[in-house]
Amino acid sequence: MNTASASILDLEDLLNRVDDDRELLAELFLIFKTVFPAHLQRLSEAVNGESATQVETESHTLKGMLLNLSAPRAAAAASELERLGRDHSIGSMKVAFAGFQAEAEALLSQMDECVIELRP
Amino acid sequence: MKILIADDDSLSRRLLEKTLQRAKYEVTAVENGLSAAVQLCKIDGPRLALLDWQMPELDGPGVCREVRKRKDQGYVYMILLTSKALKKDIVTGLGAGADDYLTKPFDTEELKARLRTGQRILELEDKLVEAREYMRFKATHDSLTSLFNRGVIMELLGREISRSRRERIPTAIMLCDVDHFKKVNDTHGHLIGDEVLQEVARRLLSSVRSYDYVGRYGGEEFLVILNNCDATAAPGRAEALRKAIADTPVNTTIGPFRVTLSTGMHQTDNWGFRTVEELLHEVDAALYAAKAAGRNCVKFAKSDITADDPRALATQAVEIVPR
Repeated sequence: MNTASASILDLEDLLNRVDDDRELLAELFLIFKTVFPAHLQRLSEAVNGESATQVETESHTLKGMLLNLSAPRAAAAASELERLGRDHSIGSMKVAFAGFQAEAEALLSQMDECVIELRP
Repeated sequence: MKILIADDDSLSRRLLEKTLQRAKYEVTAVENGLSAAVQLCKIDGPRLALLDWQMPELDGPGVCREVRKRKDQGYVYMILLTSKALKKDIVTGLGAGADDYLTKPFDTEELKARLRTGQRILELEDKLVEAREYMRFKATHDSLTSLFNRGVIMELLGREISRSRRERIPTAIMLCDVDHFKKVNDTHGHLIGDEVLQEVARRLLSSVRSYDYVGRYGGEEFLVILNNCDATAAPGRAEALRKAIADTPVNTTIGPFRVTLSTGMHQTDNWGFRTVEELLHEVDAALYAAKAAGRNCVKFAKSDITADDPRALATQAVEIVPR
């Protein structure tokens, strides 16, 4: 795993959080991959519908999830969206959402790599 | 120890569940605030809780407020675990009734340490409640017999007479005195006398219904209040209590004794306007009559109450229960 991808997913930190339980880690990745599309869809709808409150709520939920997954870059992007929602900064949301999407895609890709690495 | 996790994010919920199970907690996990409040307000529900802030139906601070409204159960130690990290959020969370506040992502060791703090607080609360209950018992019960003490049984008598008057429900009062108790003390010593009193108390208590009251009135005298006891039932109830004592010798450390009770009894649903003290005086007169009649029997106090002059007629002791 190279340095750039480590900043997308801090595997060492995450393994520490799950007490080096690789089976649990794989389960958490699976949960994330299952629930994330629906969250992303709701966030997208909120951004496109310019619903600041909904953007704040959805991005807050995603931020919590991403922080627990030790995904600092995607969490920071979600945090920024949450801030924009809280401040009703409608104009900046679409750009921030695109940034978040890019981070999320990178994270999902990183997770796939990790799953392969973690296989016994 | 039981712990509740409330988080609408299934990933966080699973991570916490596994972490806490590893730390030997008995975990209940729910996905919304309303379910959390229901679980925490159960009598035997978890007393430790980790609550997410943002949840459907009821948020974390809302759960804290609901739980704190409950005054009739043990303390619940609640930690808000959220990615809301602003100082104003922390202040709001603690103001809603949370005991502690942790931000996501949690550090496993810090989380466990904070939960141990919660457990210490809960253990301290348990000890305080236990001490309070012990003091309450000591203040309301007789130390020798563990029956209600004189103050409490008198208070209960006043309350039950008022209720009987108000609802026209028949009630019976019995004043029971252990026969020749002084002789037991003088002959065998006070410790044996104490054993006799303890056994008499135990038998009286086990011979009445759960909603009747038995108290130590003083020395070797016991006051019994039989709720909802009409004139037809009263003689039988009195006889049952007399037999509960007289029919089986009391076993003491120096051997068995035959013990008997003399009893004065009053039963009515029309108590007139007399005070509790006046009623007890009438029951005491009936007890005196039982003693005079040779002991080990029950005498009824009878007052003829009229609407015109409720205090006018004197109490008479009349024999009801044959020896």
